[in-house]
Amino acid sequence: MSIVHRYKTGFPTLPLRVYHEHMNMNRPYHSIPKSLAKPLVSSEVQHQISKSKLKRRQQLAGYLTIAPALVLILGLTLYPVAYSIWLSLLEKHSFFPQERFIGLENYFYLWKDPEFWSSLWLGVVYSVWTIFFQVILGVAAALILNETFVGRGLVRGIVLFPYMIPTIVAVILWKWLLNDTYGVVNYWLFALGIVREPICWLGADHIMLSLIVTSIWQFFPFVLLSILARLQTIPPELYEAAKVDGASAFHRFIHVTLPQIRGILFVVILLRSIWMFTKFDTVWLMGEGAGAGRFIRTLPVYAYMRTLTYYQAGLGAALAVIMFAILVVCTVIYFGLFREEADIG
Amino acid sequence: MNRWRFKRLSTRGLLYGAAILLALQAAFPFFWMVSTSLKPPVEVFAQPPSFIPHHPTWENFWRLFTSTGFLTYFRNSVIVSGLAVLLTMIVSAAGAYSLTRYEYMGREKIAGLILCTYMFAPIMVVIPFFILVKKIGIENTHFALVLAFTSFCLPFTLWLMRAFFKTIPVQLEEAALVDGADRVRAVIYVVLPLALPGIIATSIFTFILAWNDYIFTRILITSDELKTLPVGVQDLFHSALIDWGLIMAAGMMITIPALLFFVTVQRYLIRGWGAGAVKG
Repeated sequence: MSIVHRYKTGFPTLPLRVYHEHMNMNRPYHSIPKSLAKPLVSSEVQHQISKSKLKRRQQLAGYLTIAPALVLILGLTLYPVAYSIWLSLLEKHSFFPQERFIGLENYFYLWKDPEFWSSLWLGVVYSVWTIFFQVILGVAAALILNETFVGRGLVRGIVLFPYMIPTIVAVILWKWLLNDTYGVVNYWLFALGIVREPICWLGADHIMLSLIVTSIWQFFPFVLLSILARLQTIPPELYEAAKVDGASAFHRFIHVTLPQIRGILFVVILLRSIWMFTKFDTVWLMGEGAGAGRFIRTLPVYAYMRTLTYYQAGLGAALAVIMFAILVVCTVIYFGLFREEADIG
Repeated sequence: MNRWRFKRLSTRGLLYGAAILLALQAAFPFFWMVSTSLKPPVEVFAQPPSFIPHHPTWENFWRLFTSTGFLTYFRNSVIVSGLAVLLTMIVSAAGAYSLTRYEYMGREKIAGLILCTYMFAPIMVVIPFFILVKKIGIENTHFALVLAFTSFCLPFTLWLMRAFFKTIPVQLEEAALVDGADRVRAVIYVVLPLALPGIIATSIFTFILAWNDYIFTRILITSDELKTLPVGVQDLFHSALIDWGLIMAAGMMITIPALLFFVTVQRYLIRGWGAGAVKG
């Protein structure tokens, strides 16, 4: 590129190709013996030669510095994911080395396995509800925190706490708040006369609701902060103009704010969907020891249990592969449906 | 005129009400955790619950330190998170430098590939990872855990660092090179100091991720003396009667470091957020 550039800007230079043909050689430039090159070329061309040598060295340095990262990602993320496809075709105990190739047997088994279908359904229910409320609450909260009021910085800091703490803490906090005998939630509901007897929040009937509430509480700050960051970049003139035109707050949101946050909303919903559909720790920890765990046994939890409770690594891997396939298909459809937003985002 | 003022006042009132509600929903569970952890066992289960402990005591913390493996778990968490941060920083700084400073074939493809792995959820990686780790024979070691955290954090730390490195003008380095510094010195004395906010932000994100992780540790670590905090605390539940005072004390002790890091990083948070640095 620099050669062409120099040529165009009128430097007295010889394009390397010409030089190359003149030397009638197809060897790399740096292998030309100096004694041979010297009398034939101008100093400018020689400058180009050392430049190309530099370029090769640069390439090498580039590859060397990216290598550790690439090796780690290829070896420890991409290879395991590819390996899980192979693993899903095996019958394999999770702890012993024996393995037997059984083709698509694991997938056929899952197709007829009612627990698989129920876990898929529970996973969809969990994802849809949590994503829906995270987005609604996140956007609403972002709009509130984008207004000016006393103590705004403090509130902005506090609302992010739930997203920053370990999942185990979020879960034990909510398990304690929702405890049927000693929990504060039941105490309040009782004190306010809403219920007559304590609700068993972690029992079969309500555990999904409890899980959804906990997850929304823990993850909506992500939506909030992403949207807030975008809101801050919207030029205030847009709102001024809308106000002059007599638009109400609602109309300003629909016609000014929404078009502006569409791009980021697209990305946020995509990320949250992927993460909620594959969410393991919150769901698993919420169900652990609650007795009603099987009422929130979503797909990731089921994959984990097949691998480490029933020791069927092949089936566990098959579940992981199915999960991955569902995600890929949904992502492609999502991109197709919202092509316009994808371009902005 | 009066109606206009009334409307304005009520909007302000609504705004403050909503803001207070937002702060309360986030803060109350924490307040309740602190309160419970400072109560003696009898008061923990008292009805009606007392919001401020009547007889505050450090008893729960004392029991946590002396009668459970908490200190071991804490030490393990610090070691594993620290090593994960160190390794991630070295690898991603080198990688980000490569992606922004050198030109070579397939550079953008590599960057795209790395971004793609950002989409992989832990549950999809950890099952085959576990089987592979068993095959190599490094299961149940901190080494495997550090590798898992590093490879899991890499896509986003690399991406974030790349964004930071891009903002540093190449001319500064070239000036250093002209002045006679070699590449390594130019990087150490010119590039790294300028990228410091990015390095701090990414290292803290890695730390929080490693510190908070449950799934990798649950699956890769089996012996009690190697467990990290989240898994160790989860195992406190495996007793007949759940000791909520003790568990809340443990929750406090895990949360404090995470929150401290969070408060430190807050300044850099928005910038990192834009580059997609938080995962979960």
